[in-house]
Amino acid sequence: MILLMILTVAGPLAGTAAAACGARARPAGWTASAGALVSLACSVWLLAAELHRAPLRGWGGYLYLDSLSCFFLLTVAAVTLLASLGSVAYLSAEQDAGRLSAFQVRLYYVFFGLFAALMLAALETGNLGLLFVLIEASTLASAALVGLEARASSLEAAWKYVIISSFGVTIALAGTLFLYYSASGLHLAADYRLAWPYLFSHAHALAPQSLRLAFLLAVVGYGTKVGLAPMHTWLPDAHAEAPSPASAMLSAALLNTGMYAIIRFLAIAHARLGNGFPRAVLLTFGFGSIVIGVLFMIRRGNFKRLFAYSSVEHMGIIAVALGFGGLLGLYGALLQTLNHAIAKAVLFLTSGDVSLRYRTREAAGVTGLLAAVPVTGGALLLGSFAVLGSPPFGVFLSELTIVRAGFAASSPVFALLLLALLAVAFVAFARTTAGMVTGRPPDESGSGSQGALALAPYRGRAVGLAAVVPLGVGLVALLVLGLWIPAGLDTVIRHCVAVIS
Amino acid sequence: MQSLSATSAAGVLLDLSGVLILLLSFACLGSKLFNRYVAYYGAQSVVLSFAAGVAAYAFHSVELWILAVATLAIKGIGIPVSARRLLVQRLALKRDAALSTGLSTSLIAGGALTAFAYLVTRPQLLPHGLVAAAVVPLSTAVILLGGLAMVVRRHTVAQLIGWLIVENGVFLGAITLVATFPFIVEAGIFLDLVAGVLIMLVFVSGLTRRLASASAGELRELHG
Repeated sequence: MILLMILTVAGPLAGTAAAACGARARPAGWTASAGALVSLACSVWLLAAELHRAPLRGWGGYLYLDSLSCFFLLTVAAVTLLASLGSVAYLSAEQDAGRLSAFQVRLYYVFFGLFAALMLAALETGNLGLLFVLIEASTLASAALVGLEARASSLEAAWKYVIISSFGVTIALAGTLFLYYSASGLHLAADYRLAWPYLFSHAHALAPQSLRLAFLLAVVGYGTKVGLAPMHTWLPDAHAEAPSPASAMLSAALLNTGMYAIIRFLAIAHARLGNGFPRAVLLTFGFGSIVIGVLFMIRRGNFKRLFAYSSVEHMGIIAVALGFGGLLGLYGALLQTLNHAIAKAVLFLTSGDVSLRYRTREAAGVTGLLAAVPVTGGALLLGSFAVLGSPPFGVFLSELTIVRAGFAASSPVFALLLLALLAVAFVAFARTTAGMVTGRPPDESGSGSQGALALAPYRGRAVGLAAVVPLGVGLVALLVLGLWIPAGLDTVIRHCVAVIS
Repeated sequence: MQSLSATSAAGVLLDLSGVLILLLSFACLGSKLFNRYVAYYGAQSVVLSFAAGVAAYAFHSVELWILAVATLAIKGIGIPVSARRLLVQRLALKRDAALSTGLSTSLIAGGALTAFAYLVTRPQLLPHGLVAAAVVPLSTAVILLGGLAMVVRRHTVAQLIGWLIVENGVFLGAITLVATFPFIVEAGIFLDLVAGVLIMLVFVSGLTRRLASASAGELRELHG
């Protein structure tokens, strides 16, 4: 089993190794995809095994795997696979067009693999100190991806990202410190005083004052990584400037890893402090993020920024769901995590495709996608509906669960507020994407670019397939999750809820 | 692990180093020259490594000794020297003109933040009579001052130093409050710090080559 865990983490490193040895864009990309596939297979295996077994522990609490970690492992590994396939298409197209040098492509794959492996490793550790170390390291690896294109604007975004996130995560370290301190009455060996399972089972003996501070600092600190308002300011820039498959990784994997850290702190805080304080903190930050995300989605501009603000909104929804708590709230939060991850990965990969074809990231410059490129246009349309929570896609189901949790948990005001905000988000988001999908394609003979649209960006059938397959797979998965939650998944999520409450 | 009492020799020394570290953060906040920032940060890290040495001596902890030496070598010497070579000298940075408030305003704000740190960490949180009760408010103040430096200074180098000061504040809190994190965690934090500084150095020099002064004030392309 421990071998499987190591293999899950080591999978994405295959791409890193290939690129470090000097492989070109296509071979490196295919190696990375194969590695991600291995990783996904291992995580499915681990998840299946986890259902019938006690949590896996090893190496003095540094290695720890329960249903919750397995669930997030599955999410991150799935996103990594989709994004690796997307990378094959995007990076080869960019290199063929001469916009990225061979060195930049190699650099991309080196850091892409590292980034994925560090996130997967963060999900497999039970030690909250090591969790901090790995999350901070994943920030650094992904900052290199954000700054990859080395334009002034992408360096600016990378700087903002690395400095704000590092500062935030350092705050989370202070939170971890206070948690460690609150356990000083427990007489555990130093290694175990940060081990989550021990802290959780001895939560009643923790010092409440410093635990309260620890939880607040952890939400602010890891919330910076999650993109909770008002710590979200790095997020739209980084998502807009990174190469599109890397944006997919940021939005669908990194934000979830941050949320995972918050959930771990939440479980301990909930066990010791009861409902009131954690709920107040999470509802405040959650609703703040939804409002900020929705307000900025109204503005029409760069479509990658639009998707990024939608991520802020969705992270807010997940935080609100965690705040509602109870079986419904936690169930909804986890389901929403999975659905949002897939939907956002699809949308960002589509955005890469669009920006390759239209050579712009401004929504105003993109019209008639459905007529010009039916596959991409269709994926964008369906993906938008999916992420906005229309039936029959999965997000609808999870948002419904969350609203129900709101009605069950506290006064209906919060649930009604959530519904109203979701409605505004729908209009704001769909206004922009509908404009991109419908209408007539821009005149191909105009603007002297001799028909940039007609010029397919991908050379070779395999690369073209790599661009399309992840979109199709993602949308089918979302559809399936909307119609029917497989019995296995249901059991897994129930196990996860049991782990943290 | 037992905590140090405030009146023991080691406790007094730790308290004193905490005060010095706070004063050096103020010095950083009050200066305008890039090589001063770096020098004050280096001095602060040397004091911090002395504090770690005191704690190591008091607790007879080998891990803390290693930590003290690593702090001296990496934060006290390595980072300041390389920051000076690679940034201040090679990019010919002298005076930081990118302040968003005047020096006196930022010093007053720093004083207010220090008072705030005492207000929030004093009362119920910490045990009485232990050195942690004296030093944790100091370290909280250092964290806040580092954050303030990142906000009022808009030059990227100054923001980098601000983040490093925040990190020093957390570290100071850690050695007095819990002696140390588990060793693996502590080693990981050091690795992250070094990797973070390296990658930030790359970004700062890249930005400086593209913009006139790499001040965050010029980072205006992305907004909204």
